[in-house]
Amino acid sequence: MGNFSIRTENLKKNFGAVKALNGVSFDFSAGLLHGLIGSNGAGKTTTMRLLAGLLKPSSGRISYYSEGQPAALSELRPSLAYMPQQASLYPDLSIDEHLEFFRELYRLEPEVYARRSTRLLNITRLDKFRGRRAGQLSGGMYKKLGLMCSLLQSPSVLLLDEPTNGVDPISRREFWEMLYDLAAEKILIVVSTAYMDEAERCSRVHLLDSGHLLASGEPRAVLKEAGASGFEELFVRQGAQK
Amino acid sequence: MNRTLTAFIKKELTQTLRDVRMRALLFGAPIIQLTIFGLALSTEIKNIKLAVVSQPGDAVFGRVADSFYASGWFVRVGCAPGEDPYELIASGRADAVLLAPKEGLARSAERGDGKMQLLVDASNSTKARAVEAYSKNIIAAAAAREYGARGEPALKFDVRVLYNPAMESSMFLVPGVMGMLVCLITIILTAMSLTREKEMGTFETIVSAPLSDAEVLLGKTVPYILLGLADAALVVLAGYLIFGVPVRGPLWQLALAALALVVNTVSIGTFISTVARNQQQAMLGGFMFLFPAILMSGIMYPVENMPKAVIAAAYLDPLMYFVRLIRNIMLKGGDAYVLWTNLGALALMAVFAAGLAYKRFRQTLN
Repeated sequence: MGNFSIRTENLKKNFGAVKALNGVSFDFSAGLLHGLIGSNGAGKTTTMRLLAGLLKPSSGRISYYSEGQPAALSELRPSLAYMPQQASLYPDLSIDEHLEFFRELYRLEPEVYARRSTRLLNITRLDKFRGRRAGQLSGGMYKKLGLMCSLLQSPSVLLLDEPTNGVDPISRREFWEMLYDLAAEKILIVVSTAYMDEAERCSRVHLLDSGHLLASGEPRAVLKEAGASGFEELFVRQGAQK
Repeated sequence: MNRTLTAFIKKELTQTLRDVRMRALLFGAPIIQLTIFGLALSTEIKNIKLAVVSQPGDAVFGRVADSFYASGWFVRVGCAPGEDPYELIASGRADAVLLAPKEGLARSAERGDGKMQLLVDASNSTKARAVEAYSKNIIAAAAAREYGARGEPALKFDVRVLYNPAMESSMFLVPGVMGMLVCLITIILTAMSLTREKEMGTFETIVSAPLSDAEVLLGKTVPYILLGLADAALVVLAGYLIFGVPVRGPLWQLALAALALVVNTVSIGTFISTVARNQQQAMLGGFMFLFPAILMSGIMYPVENMPKAVIAAAYLDPLMYFVRLIRNIMLKGGDAYVLWTNLGALALMAVFAAGLAYKRFRQTLN
């Protein structure tokens, strides 16, 4: 498994007259669980799509590193998994059919697939529902299946765009426990979320507001520097200052 | 076969065939539409309402009138003695009225006149022309029957109608309608499938996977080429079973023609999906192509009758080449010149359409 990291410098992205990102610089270092925190329209999804190579920046640059050495996105691609914010599954296909489809997309060997799918089905506790179609799963189960499809290739970089959006609190907790397990395997995880309580679960947070980066660092250090007791307070205060 | 391509084919076919509505669209709709089009789009004019006005006791005229009804084209419309024949036409009770000479047809013919009058409602010109043509033939046959050699023309000719001896319009229309249905289903299905993936967000998952652009494009189009070919086979079978439309040429020619058409239509569907933002736009885009393509294809109206500018545009219509091909193969047995010229044109268009779709698709991905 490669040790990947991503850095951006003065990254800008415009959609016509709308400035989605206004010169942001991130350092997503390897082996950490990064949280991209911000309210709706902050620029989280745009950042995720830029990192995944689905969009090209209007200006600025994104640099990828493997074992500390510069690497092209194409080198990173086989080890990069991206789970979009929108429902990214096929309602008519069952859990098993999803896994089989992604097995072929990632060209996994049968024994590798068998080992990983068994493990993922156990972790997500979806093994009892393998024949159930995605359209018939609950919100939490649906997100877990999405994550499972992303994890099937055993990525070194995992980009999750608001994975817990619309998920009940118990499923959210289970989801974060899964992310902690993955972070323990030293893979780079970037999770975007609008839930402020989730910010404190990350090892690094990057606070975005209207396309600007407000702060970056360890959650407690960021709060301490801002003199806030929580991220919600920090964002409310930021809103009041506007 | 490539693992990724196999996975895409399996996934697309599972998704498409699992949905009851899609199954109905793919396999039910073509048969229903073929039947309706084959029956409704008839160029034959039948059931012409004919009234006859004559003096009582005009036996010769009575026999002539009977031969009209015996022909199968006309149906009898009764009229009261002294009723105005123009009123019969104006009210729509009759499409045509056959009027006998006042002194009777026999006496009139004896004088060397023998002139009857046929009033025809030409508010529908197609119908009026058909009534005129049928009537001339019936009168000529009746004259020959009543007056023997006197009715015979000096010059004779024997007409042999080839490929469709009964001149059934279904023989002419059904092969064209097959092309139209395959075109409609493959364009709409491909355009909507790709746009649906974009709308659902699954497209982002696919394009962020380690796949080449060509793999993604082939994965999303090959399943619909296969479904289009299956549909083509289904409508050929339905045309044979329902309308008795034969396949006189070799099946490999039919398969090649269908493949060339389906590659064109799936490429057009892919191109539309790269422009459309949602499924409604994809559907609208599909129909914006389909309506002129069908009208210029020669399925219903001969291309040669169209204005020069439209004829020039028709040469860019893949459906026109396919209609020529399929009529040639199914009805004429597959003349080599017609086959290779039209298949060549269709193949060239397929290469161009696929290239354009690939270019646009790559732009969309990037």
